[in-house]
Amino acid sequence: MSQADLSIHGQVSRTGATEIMTAPTFSVSAKKMAMWLFIIADSATFAGCLVAYGFTRNATPNWPRPFHSITNVAVMTFILLTSSLTMLIGVRSAQKGDKAGAFRWTLITAAFGILFAVLHIREWMGMIGEGATLFHNPWGTPLFSSLFFSITGLHLLHVTGGVVALIAVALKYQGGRYGADDLEVTGLYWHFVDLVWMFVVPLVYLLNLAH
Amino acid sequence: MHGTIMVFFVLTTAPFAAFGNFFLPIQVGAEDMPFPHFNMMSFWVTFVAFLVLVTSFFAGDGPTLGGWTQYAPLSAIGAVGGPGQGLGVVLWAASIGIFCIGQLLGSLNFITTTLDMRTRGMSLMRLPLSAWGWFITSVMGLTAFAVLMPACILLILDHVAGTSFFVASNLVINDQVLPHSGGSTLLWQHLFWFFGHPEVYIAIIPGMGIVSHVLITNMRKPMLSHRVLIYSMGALGALSYMVYGHHMFVSGMNPVSSLAFSFPTLVITIPSTIVVLMWLGSLYGSKLRINSASLFSLGFISMFISGGVSGFFLAQPSIDIMLHATYFVVGHFHLVMGVAAMFGIFAGTYFWFPKMTGRMMNETLGKTHFVLSFIGAYCIFMPFHYLGIAGNVRRYQAFTDDYLIPLIPVHKFITYSAIFTGLVQLIFVFNLIHSRFKGAVAPNDNPWEGTSLEWSTATPPPHNNFGDKMPVVYHDPYQYSVEGASADYIMQTSPEKINSPDEEK
Amino acid sequence: MTTAEAHKDSGIGKDLVVYVFLLVLAAIQFVIAYQNITADQMFERMLIVAIVEAGVALLFFMHLNENRGLRWFVVISTVAVLLFLQYGWTDAHRLANGVPWAK
Repeated sequence: MSQADLSIHGQVSRTGATEIMTAPTFSVSAKKMAMWLFIIADSATFAGCLVAYGFTRNATPNWPRPFHSITNVAVMTFILLTSSLTMLIGVRSAQKGDKAGAFRWTLITAAFGILFAVLHIREWMGMIGEGATLFHNPWGTPLFSSLFFSITGLHLLHVTGGVVALIAVALKYQGGRYGADDLEVTGLYWHFVDLVWMFVVPLVYLLNLAH
Repeated sequence: MHGTIMVFFVLTTAPFAAFGNFFLPIQVGAEDMPFPHFNMMSFWVTFVAFLVLVTSFFAGDGPTLGGWTQYAPLSAIGAVGGPGQGLGVVLWAASIGIFCIGQLLGSLNFITTTLDMRTRGMSLMRLPLSAWGWFITSVMGLTAFAVLMPACILLILDHVAGTSFFVASNLVINDQVLPHSGGSTLLWQHLFWFFGHPEVYIAIIPGMGIVSHVLITNMRKPMLSHRVLIYSMGALGALSYMVYGHHMFVSGMNPVSSLAFSFPTLVITIPSTIVVLMWLGSLYGSKLRINSASLFSLGFISMFISGGVSGFFLAQPSIDIMLHATYFVVGHFHLVMGVAAMFGIFAGTYFWFPKMTGRMMNETLGKTHFVLSFIGAYCIFMPFHYLGIAGNVRRYQAFTDDYLIPLIPVHKFITYSAIFTGLVQLIFVFNLIHSRFKGAVAPNDNPWEGTSLEWSTATPPPHNNFGDKMPVVYHDPYQYSVEGASADYIMQTSPEKINSPDEEK
Repeated sequence: MTTAEAHKDSGIGKDLVVYVFLLVLAAIQFVIAYQNITADQMFERMLIVAIVEAGVALLFFMHLNENRGLRWFVVISTVAVLLFLQYGWTDAHRLANGVPWAK
């Protein structure tokens, strides 16, 4: 498409695929941009929950501190951080064109996610066994368990969704329908889930550790 | 329910989602939004949200009585709170939660369209003001609705799971001590108004964009400054997050935060004033083409000023304590947000109808509609201010107190005006339907002689917006009356070289 | 893309460093939890560590360090919204202590 053609019509044929658009504002593809925007929105959602938690905790005298052991949550944190690393390796393999490696590492990430969820549910079960429900718990104000289950539940929901997304994207990547970009975008989401956990652990678990 | 339906399903949906979905891709020169599936989902999700809300009319003992703010604790304690406060509130919260998802999907699409899908030559500063309005709104919608969603989920949990996030201990309702304990009613207000105030600007900023766009086309000259107007709209968007506490001055709020909220509330009048002065200054000395669209734009400005001035009173805690929850507030937000945004919708409809259908709307009916609506709206909402100053509290169903009885004639006048104004809208409905099928055929693709991209494509626009040729943009959106140019207006796609001091590089 | 290309070769090594760094930061949080300090001090320190952790993850795991425009867009909009959410705290203190600010 020469400049002369353009100046006659003020139009350009659709065939010149990339030339017909202004470069994206942040040099980021629409998919990646959408994921970043989702992350911004979702961090506001989590922040809303955490502020509700902080507000209530702060306004309640004698807030219960029932956690005695941090082993489980430490293991969970380690698993989630490690899964972020395997995700990165997967994305890097995909960018290098190593399809088998990318597929394998993405599935390993998903497996870590499943492990995390299993540990999390086991912990929940333990607490429910001790008598904690959404509206009652043996340690003090019922709001403690309401908020604990709501916040970690929201995070667990994100992990579950992430695992499903990872497996689906990995399969479609293996089938050739998705490329390295899609893997990277899913990876962004997975890192975000990890990032939220970095705030949930200190605020929800460690601050409520019994001394 | 009046508030919920109007705020969420009209003022948010019509100027932002409806016009935005149609014209934003065209104005940036995209063949479609980047995620058409999200686009469709956001529509259907919003539709489902509306159905859920409407269901509450027929379920249990009727819809919630809580209004669009759903103040706790009455909204969180279940059926003890009154008819409709059980199932009605659950359906309300579910509906709004679903609506939030729709808004999220819509916002994702709007922002990526604006950032990633612009056609060749369309820099950000070459976007028309209406596109900027939608863009800023979608950035706000992205985060504001994201905070409302957990609030709705917590409210639902209070109902169905027996939690008490929003109910304090030892609450007695109807001589019953409620089993809830430990929650805070203020928490709901914080979470809700953190969304609620940006929401007000989500309703009005698309209107500002549309009105600027319509006015410029009819003034035949650009705004005094394109950039300053954009920055002011952006500042409005950013500041709107910092002022939400002015809804809570009498909620028993911390006096320090009252001050912290009052100050930005007064500051936010600065960009608002700049926007208004920009409109008025640009109108001054222009040969405005009088048609239905430009009249409604003038109406928008008038309503925005009238409603905005009363905002100065309400922004100050000491005055607000007297005026809070009176008809003064009702008059204020109906003018500045309700009627103004509606006028923006009307202006957009009259303006873009030829592009959407290929037919013109009837101008005589349109002007009649404007004059009668304008008079009607002022007759309804101006007296509200006097009622409020006289101390008339809102949300009463009968005015039997001694000091309220003398005010009843004013209420009667307002009721007659409201019925009159409501009937006037039938003119619009008739005009809309009649013009759609029998209206005069639009003379060409560009009946208003506009410059932006929607006027350079076919009427109605083809499925991929521009047919088989994509537009290339050479100019600012509003090159009207440029000296030495071949015509009164230069389309954005016109390759003609012009010498204009305003042209963005 | 040139910066991204350059990162690809030496990528994994750097990722490992970042990963270990994040693990250390996480460990610091656990250490803080066992110190004999008030909840307020604990909250303050943990939050600072968490913010550093989040920043490192954003920059290196999520590659915001490679895109200046996107970085500012994401950081400014998110941080602004998160900050504006904090107004509620004043009321939480007041409910607990009956005075505008915590004693």
